[in-house]
Amino acid sequence: MFSNHVTNELSAYCNGELSTERARDVAEHIMSCVRCRSRCEEIKLGAKLAEHVPLETAPADMWAKIESALEGQLTGNIPAPPLPRAWFWRPQFAAITVAVVAVILIGAWWVLRDRTTPPAGPSWQVATLNGRPTIGSTRITGQGQLGVGQWLETDQNSSAQINVASIGQVQVDPNTRIRLVQTQPTEHRLELARGQMSARIWAPPRLFFVDTPSAVAADLGCAYTLVVDDSGGSLLRVTSGWVALELKDRESIVPAGAACQTRPGIGPGTPYFEDAGPDFLNALADLDFQPNKPAKSRALNQLLQRARVKDTLTLWHLLARVDGEERRRVFEKMTSLIELPTDVTRDGILKLDQEMLTKWKDKLEFYWVGSSVDPKSIKDLKTADPKKF
Amino acid sequence: MERQAVMAEPTVDGQVIKACQHGDRDAFRLLFEAYKDRVFSIAVYSLGDRAVADDVTQQIFLKLFSAIGQFRGDSEFTTWLYRMVVNACHDERRRTKRLVALGPTAIDPPRDKKPQETQFARQEIAGVVQSAIGQLKPRFRVPILLRYIEGLSYEEIAEVMGCSKGTVASRLNRGHTELAQRLAHLRQAF
Repeated sequence: MFSNHVTNELSAYCNGELSTERARDVAEHIMSCVRCRSRCEEIKLGAKLAEHVPLETAPADMWAKIESALEGQLTGNIPAPPLPRAWFWRPQFAAITVAVVAVILIGAWWVLRDRTTPPAGPSWQVATLNGRPTIGSTRITGQGQLGVGQWLETDQNSSAQINVASIGQVQVDPNTRIRLVQTQPTEHRLELARGQMSARIWAPPRLFFVDTPSAVAADLGCAYTLVVDDSGGSLLRVTSGWVALELKDRESIVPAGAACQTRPGIGPGTPYFEDAGPDFLNALADLDFQPNKPAKSRALNQLLQRARVKDTLTLWHLLARVDGEERRRVFEKMTSLIELPTDVTRDGILKLDQEMLTKWKDKLEFYWVGSSVDPKSIKDLKTADPKKF
Repeated sequence: MERQAVMAEPTVDGQVIKACQHGDRDAFRLLFEAYKDRVFSIAVYSLGDRAVADDVTQQIFLKLFSAIGQFRGDSEFTTWLYRMVVNACHDERRRTKRLVALGPTAIDPPRDKKPQETQFARQEIAGVVQSAIGQLKPRFRVPILLRYIEGLSYEEIAEVMGCSKGTVASRLNRGHTELAQRLAHLRQAF
């Protein structure tokens, strides 16, 4: 399956030097090949470091030395060629030149008056899907360019599609305000102030980011939709791959089929599968965002009663978000659903040993990713082909 | 391709080059001002000594001024210029068999010593990156410099170095990997 590793193309991939089609092939390979993914991470770090190489300033007296050497060449009987005066500097051509330039400028203005002025720096292509979205203060029809720092805004009748460099596409739905923050070979970043966007990215993990008022969505190779409401809260739904929602030390890793909410001042909540049922989801909302401690405690009880095997996605994240007795209860619920890996201990998990948490997550991912069938019992899980989940 | 922020596009166009070919000293000056820092940077990183880089940069510009009449526009001017720079640095290295290891003496001292943490962190990172690049073998170092200081595409780098695009990709792979391995402790800073 992995006979055609892409290691030789990884720098070209990270530097945006591959064709769109080839970049997509490489991205797909990376998503499924641990070896190439690991090499890609290393090369990406190397590229980020290399971007910090500073430009050196030439010594101030260098021109004087060069000029003196040139004089030396001249006095050594190496004559400089005569300096012809350019034709357009001659007085008789001046008036004609001015007139021609004026005609060209007026013509250009006439032809381009309805078009968006392309931004000076790097920019992304925007295609109108419906209506007339605006870039900055200019309404666009057809196509436009979104420069770094510019806002793209859609009203209730308009929508647009953005080409994210050569690594993916973002669809911008009506009533959305979105800004291009940065585009570099090692990082592409949007800011979604409000509204809804759908992204499909075929780049290596952590190359595409979306800032929202309450968290940052980091692409881990995926497709997803992200909605930001007027209060700054957001809802992420992942349709393929993985997305990480982050704010300071708080991180939620959301696989395909799962969702996660965020709130200003709190950050990302706990990820969940939307088919978990209303009791589970209401309890999780209370647990994540309700300030009242007794209400949180009741919510945890409810949540543990309702949790299914694939809801270990939620429970695994909760391990680090609750403590003491509550953490022990979450752990016991999880082990009643899925056994611990052999080299992971109860004590290690309760002490939040990162290595053990990761090992357990690696095993649990098996049941989170692509799980369209809900196993009826642990016995089913233990005896069945895991690929069915 | 996307160019890096450090690379302001020079204000040198065909008219300036033509004027240089006719011996216009003001045009020479314009050309020099547009490219002096970039040429000097490649020389410093390649040779590891500011004084030597100063001499080599002067030689490059003197040679450029005397040879610019031979530039026919078959390739980009920048490609032609950087080929001259890379060759001059290569010749100097071969002549002196200089061991390049950029250290604190090779680089400019920090200009702003105000206790601003981010400024300090940026300078720290720039300093260690500079040193790590200096320790790469020339065949891996040069494409890194052409890419990140000059902002050349793989195709342009291949033209400057007289090799294939595949070779450029492979050498950049190696250069990136070595930088990441030497500076793995900075991973958290990104």
